[in-house]
Amino acid sequence: MTAERNSIYGAEACSGCSLCLLVCPVWRSTFDIRLTPHGRAKALQHGATAFDVADSIDTCTLCGACEPVCPEEIALVDMVLALRRDLASTMPDRVGNAVVQLQQGVDSNSTTALSAYPTVLLADSALSEQPQLLQTVLALFSHEQAGLAADSGADIALALEAGASVPEERLNRFLAPLRTVRRMIVCDGVLLRALRDWLPRTRIDSLGEAASSLAGVRARLRPDDFYVIESRAYHADRERLVAHYDQLRVSSGCMMNLDLQRLAIPTTASHQWMPEKRRVDPADQARWILEGRVVARVVVEDCRDIAVFQRVAPYPVLHVAQLGDAR
Amino acid sequence: MDIAVIEPGVIPTDNVAPDALKGIVRQQTNPKRWEAANWAPFAVAAASADIELLVQPGIIGTFSTDAGGTAYGMPHAVVIACSAGQISGLLKLAQQFHVPVTVRGGGLTTEGESVAFGGVLLDMTGMSRVLSVDKNKLIVRTQAGIFWHSLAESLRRYDLDYLSAPLNLTSSVGGSLGVGGIDVNSPRLGCSADQAISLQVVTPTGDIVECSDTQNTQLFQRVILGYGQFGVITEATLKVRPYTPLRMHYFYYSSLRTAIEDLQLLDAGDAADYSGILTMMDKVVNLLVAFDSDEREATFMASWRGRLRGHGEAAFTLLMGLHYGLRPWLWREALWLRERKRQLFPEFRRPEHIRNGLMHDRTVVFSRAVWKFWGSRQMVIPDIATSTEKFVDAVEQGNAVCRKYFGHYTLYCVGIRLREDHRQHYEMSCIPPDATTHAYGCEFEPMLENAVYSRDTLQSFKNDIYDIGVKLGGSYYRFGGMMKGYIRRVFGDAVVDRHLAMKREADPGMILNRNVIF
Ligand SMILES: Cc1cc2nc3c(=O)[nH]c(=O)nc-3n(C[C@H](O)[C@H](O)[C@H](O)COP(=O)(O)OP(=O)(O)OC[C@H]3O[C@@H](n4cnc5c(N)ncnc54)[C@H](O)[C@@H]3O)c2cc1C
Ligand code: SF4
Ligand code: SF4
Repeated sequence: MTAERNSIYGAEACSGCSLCLLVCPVWRSTFDIRLTPHGRAKALQHGATAFDVADSIDTCTLCGACEPVCPEEIALVDMVLALRRDLASTMPDRVGNAVVQLQQGVDSNSTTALSAYPTVLLADSALSEQPQLLQTVLALFSHEQAGLAADSGADIALALEAGASVPEERLNRFLAPLRTVRRMIVCDGVLLRALRDWLPRTRIDSLGEAASSLAGVRARLRPDDFYVIESRAYHADRERLVAHYDQLRVSSGCMMNLDLQRLAIPTTASHQWMPEKRRVDPADQARWILEGRVVARVVVEDCRDIAVFQRVAPYPVLHVAQLGDAR
Repeated sequence: MDIAVIEPGVIPTDNVAPDALKGIVRQQTNPKRWEAANWAPFAVAAASADIELLVQPGIIGTFSTDAGGTAYGMPHAVVIACSAGQISGLLKLAQQFHVPVTVRGGGLTTEGESVAFGGVLLDMTGMSRVLSVDKNKLIVRTQAGIFWHSLAESLRRYDLDYLSAPLNLTSSVGGSLGVGGIDVNSPRLGCSADQAISLQVVTPTGDIVECSDTQNTQLFQRVILGYGQFGVITEATLKVRPYTPLRMHYFYYSSLRTAIEDLQLLDAGDAADYSGILTMMDKVVNLLVAFDSDEREATFMASWRGRLRGHGEAAFTLLMGLHYGLRPWLWREALWLRERKRQLFPEFRRPEHIRNGLMHDRTVVFSRAVWKFWGSRQMVIPDIATSTEKFVDAVEQGNAVCRKYFGHYTLYCVGIRLREDHRQHYEMSCIPPDATTHAYGCEFEPMLENAVYSRDTLQSFKNDIYDIGVKLGGSYYRFGGMMKGYIRRVFGDAVVDRHLAMKREADPGMILNRNVIF
């Protein structure tokens, strides 16, 4: 039995305060408490197994918004991931797609190749599929001589999300060249969380934070811009990033997808796992994000959000890297 | 089940908790669980009416207690509310089969009022949509299960805000209209319950009725501040107002009496837009005063500030230093206060909520602090509500009780402006009958920290506080559930029997929220 099982995944600490409901996109689209951290934790307290809450854990988008608001400081994202892992260990079919990708293998950088770069970019699968945008992102960090990691770990990110186990050999192959890197810019929020655990001494920033720290990008943000923070990375480090984005908002005057608690309202577009169980429509979230706002332009951190906002917004949508020029 | 017709003025036998309405001798404990007679045919009828009864242990367990964490009970099934029609069908069947239905919003009661001891638990948060916002008329129509905070999120997109709501994020609109809803602007704007313009209510017999001050007035009077006895609130039309950030001021006192007198002075003179007292025991008494506009703030500074006897933070810290410097045997207390201040004060000054010296989203700031510093898995928050005149005595006596039971505690005092035209609403509610213009409430909240207290200790503490209310002639915000034994003592038989007769007429099966009051 794992320690997690002994402690029912941390759920025993839940007081039932419901604060996690307020920020949860699944709650917003279903109003069904069973599909929320509150519902899961209480169910586990009353003897439910991972199997009993399978539907609930599959619908979680891993946006992470619930975690910073939980007064009991329960690791709510880890709870979902642990439950998914336990389910996957008894029902391997659940993670078929994720395992296939892991097994397909990935070209690996050599250690020396990556260590030549002061900064390394780990693109996610969506950015990798948009070569032009990827080049724009790299160009944004050219002053830092940023290099692109050929092994982006996208298969590992998907496996983590699904709860599939990552073979040690594959993990080592992925991490080995990264161990010498001083700074990493990571697009995938789930991978970013894991990397911070695996490589605690390396500086690891999200693409959003890295780009929005650049003076050139900040200078080009306008008061009528609507800036969409990528929620997974933001919530993974919310206590620090709330100040970063508050300064960005003050200096540029732009609007942001922050709610009244200063949590990032997610579109959930990065939710790749079990699309058939998705309860949240990213377009609906985007409409909610923009409701009542007078906007000239939407600027997104997650390239998946470009298409989402283009569906619902009658104004230009661009990626933060497209604000351009780092100088 | 036969329900005898009861004439007002006659004390009846209570079929639910036989001792509850006669004046409780011993500390009240959980009511007996409903024994599920007729459950099977009820469940069959519910299924054929398309009412989904959720019976898995996980969902039932979700609602096993309320924010108080001292009353525990399990429903036989949970129904997630989705429409007035569904609730109407549920209540009709519940009447037919005598199945109790307990309504729950945010579940922030502390005396088990939103806990089901058998029967159906109706989770109102399933109805959480904002239906329309009218920026010109400054009104919103919303489903009543919505959390106040979710409503605020929607309103802010239109630069609007609700008027008053509890200082926590997860109480629901329906749950607050039924019990009060007190904010630090209530001395000026009244409580949430007084701000509802009209309601859609499903009566205990399943009729869907719209009510207001001019339409179905009697139902409106009973549902507002009615503790869910006379119907389920499914939709509400509420007044709203333009959103404003706050200009905050804090004054510090070492005397409860002086601080309360100053609070009441400000309230009587309409000198502030927000006011309230929050304490660290009776040592650091903080009078919070805030304003919606520079003009109001300037008037206060010119005409009222000089009359307040409280100190600014620096001067008060110096005074406290001197006080404890001369009393070294109190160093433990001094250290505790210092540590508390170190943790608490930054929470009220978080940079992302303070812009150009103004506090934004006060409920978020206060609620975060409430959960972080006062919240715990058990919360015991007895309170007393009195007229203006009796309030200082009530708080001082309650403070003595807190000192007797607990090392550390907090008092929270706030006024409520009353509406003369709503006198009918106030009968048998948290508003004391003798209060005019303003009523005052004080919550006595012990810091349970990591200590373990028996239920009897906690109950005795509550009883000691509530006895003060009886002695002084007041009322309580939380008089239902485990504290309902005080209802007759504080309101008297005539009023209680009249309400009981009305309840029996409205709810022949006595199925709706049966363990709350009647
Ligand atoms: C930490 C904390 C802080 C608090 N701060 C404040 C404060 O600042 N001000 C304040 O006023 N109160 C405060 N309270 C008390 C609490 O907020 C109120 O009791 C609140 O109004 C309850 O709302 P709820 O949605 O949680 O109702 P619930 O607890 O779910 O229900 C309250 C009662 O109303 C009934 N009910 C619920 N919904 C409906 C409905 N739709 N129709 C009919 N009946 C219904 C229930 O059966 C129950 O009897 C606080 C409580 C806690 C635990
Ligand atoms: S991670 Fe996001 S989707 Fe998942 S429970 Fe938390 S708030 Fe909801
Ligand atoms: S915020 Fe945390 S403690 Fe509160 S209900 Fe959610 S999981 Fe439980």
